[in-house]
Amino acid sequence: MIFTLLAGNLTHGLLLGGVYGLATMGLSLIFGVINVVNVGHGQFIMVGAFVTLTMFTTLGLSPVVSIPVALILGMALGFFFFYTVMRRLIRAPELTSLLATFAMGILLEEIAKLIFGADFRGYNWGVGRITLPITTIPMSKVYAFIGSIVIALFLYFWFSKTRLGTAIRAVIEDNEGATVCGVNVGWIYALSFAIGIGLTVMSGVLLTMFIPVGINPYMGGGYTLKAFVIAVLGGLTSPYGAFFAGLIFGLIENGAYTLFALIPGVAPFPLTVSLAFWMLFFLLLVKPTGLLGK
Amino acid sequence: MKNTISKYYPLIPVFAAYLIMFIIGFFMPGMWQMVALLAFYCALGQSWNIFMGMTGYVDFGYVTFIALGTYGMSLGISYFSQFEWLGIGILVIGLILALFLASLSALLEAFIALRLRGAYFAIACIGINEGLRYFIEGAKIWGGSEGMIFFGALMQAFGKETVNQLTTFWADFSVFIIAALAAFLNMHYMRSKIGYALTAVREDEDAAKVMGINTTKYKTIAFLTSGLLGAGVGAMAWGLKLGHVYPGDVFVIHYTVECIVVVLLGGAGTLLGPVIGGLIYGLSKYWLAVIMPGFQLLIFAPIIIIIIVAAPEGVVGLLKRRLKGTQLEMFIE
Repeated sequence: MIFTLLAGNLTHGLLLGGVYGLATMGLSLIFGVINVVNVGHGQFIMVGAFVTLTMFTTLGLSPVVSIPVALILGMALGFFFFYTVMRRLIRAPELTSLLATFAMGILLEEIAKLIFGADFRGYNWGVGRITLPITTIPMSKVYAFIGSIVIALFLYFWFSKTRLGTAIRAVIEDNEGATVCGVNVGWIYALSFAIGIGLTVMSGVLLTMFIPVGINPYMGGGYTLKAFVIAVLGGLTSPYGAFFAGLIFGLIENGAYTLFALIPGVAPFPLTVSLAFWMLFFLLLVKPTGLLGK
Repeated sequence: MKNTISKYYPLIPVFAAYLIMFIIGFFMPGMWQMVALLAFYCALGQSWNIFMGMTGYVDFGYVTFIALGTYGMSLGISYFSQFEWLGIGILVIGLILALFLASLSALLEAFIALRLRGAYFAIACIGINEGLRYFIEGAKIWGGSEGMIFFGALMQAFGKETVNQLTTFWADFSVFIIAALAAFLNMHYMRSKIGYALTAVREDEDAAKVMGINTTKYKTIAFLTSGLLGAGVGAMAWGLKLGHVYPGDVFVIHYTVECIVVVLLGGAGTLLGPVIGGLIYGLSKYWLAVIMPGFQLLIFAPIIIIIIVAAPEGVVGLLKRRLKGTQLEMFIE
């Protein structure tokens, strides 16, 4: 009985983990390239969620259409914030870059609140459900998982096969060396920041499949913190590491929740969240390079 | 002798500012509330700045200490108010518990997180804060997410009159004391071996280590001082003053960010900075809350970004540059 439940929840965890992974790739990419921790990361996920909601409820367009829209909007936001703010903070002390990204997050939250109000909203993308022996899964979650894998694979090939992707990897490795080899580092910074934000906004679209009525201007903060845990798990500078770490995190999160729910007298949900942070703490202590790191 | 005293001249404008604030609040009717808010921000900024200013480490989870301070005071009042003969000793026990919890977590954090640098340190601090918050909620410690409400206990122990005085005057007054203490300790550290050691750490930690400085020891001292002062502010301005504590209200990163904004507005790593920053931030927050409630953050966020980009050295940084070479120079630090 408990094993069926655990297996069912782990399946859900794996599907969610794929989206977590995609949602963290942007954070890792930005940290890897410009060495800035985006403390306003989750708020960009929120933007993606609202894009999906608006397109679905007012225009009646399916979330599939929202994916490219979110990417374009996210990249536009990324370029905007890069050229107005981040460009000046690349060599600055952490104090300023952390505060600036946090302020960006607040700005997005407040603008979203101004436009959409502070209520919790949601939509229902009725594409049926699939019944496995252990559990029933809405097809929308399966599509979200497939979507995140496709995007991650696309990114993988883009990074490894194209000139621009190689240039980005070179800058992550050693930006001075890349400059010497004729890479326009300034442009790579801008582009990576924009791609990072674009990916994050796009992951917000996929995430809406998992939160039926959880779309809210202030939903982002929790995802920022989860993304930190995942990013550290994945080595902080490696986008692929982040993707696999996301899968692992999704499994751990749902597995731990199932087990904590068996303990009487505790609140399983907050305990699961706290477990994630103790895990982060432990990892930073013993292996700050991440599970997949050297 | 003159030399030792003149080392502390930069404290004069700081203490003068606190004194003027206190006088305004105490003698002008209706001003106490606002002055208390200003003192709260000045005290937090000053306390946060002790560690950040001297080491360059950004403690993004600083609110942990404030929250644990609040919990210490709450535990003290909740569990000891039944012993009426303790009298004001109940609050002393609360404060001791606050400092105990904060120093425990500061030492643990120092042991683990201070080995990390830069972004890793900031993330670890956020992680500790959230981990603690959700652990309290999840394991249902100290009332879990329902928190503790002890205003009734406070009433029973001290009576209505005294509680009124405690919450509306003495709680805020002690925040003033903490602010002044933080300024003094900051100055004292700056002018002693600790300050020189930490300046070396800030400039180049590896070089400092090679030179034989016990960097961990000095970093821990500054971290502990900063945390304990924060816990004091939490115990007084949140615990005693409000009479309740909920984990979702106190372990909020936004408060750390407010500390950072205060410090950055005034000038990071300076002595006078947090006072000026606290005044600017507190006044504008108070004023914005009056003229356009609900929109403060929408206005603040772009202002923060503009300040970071345009004037990262803060008001005191600009002032220092203006006063360089004049007689006034030695009063500004």
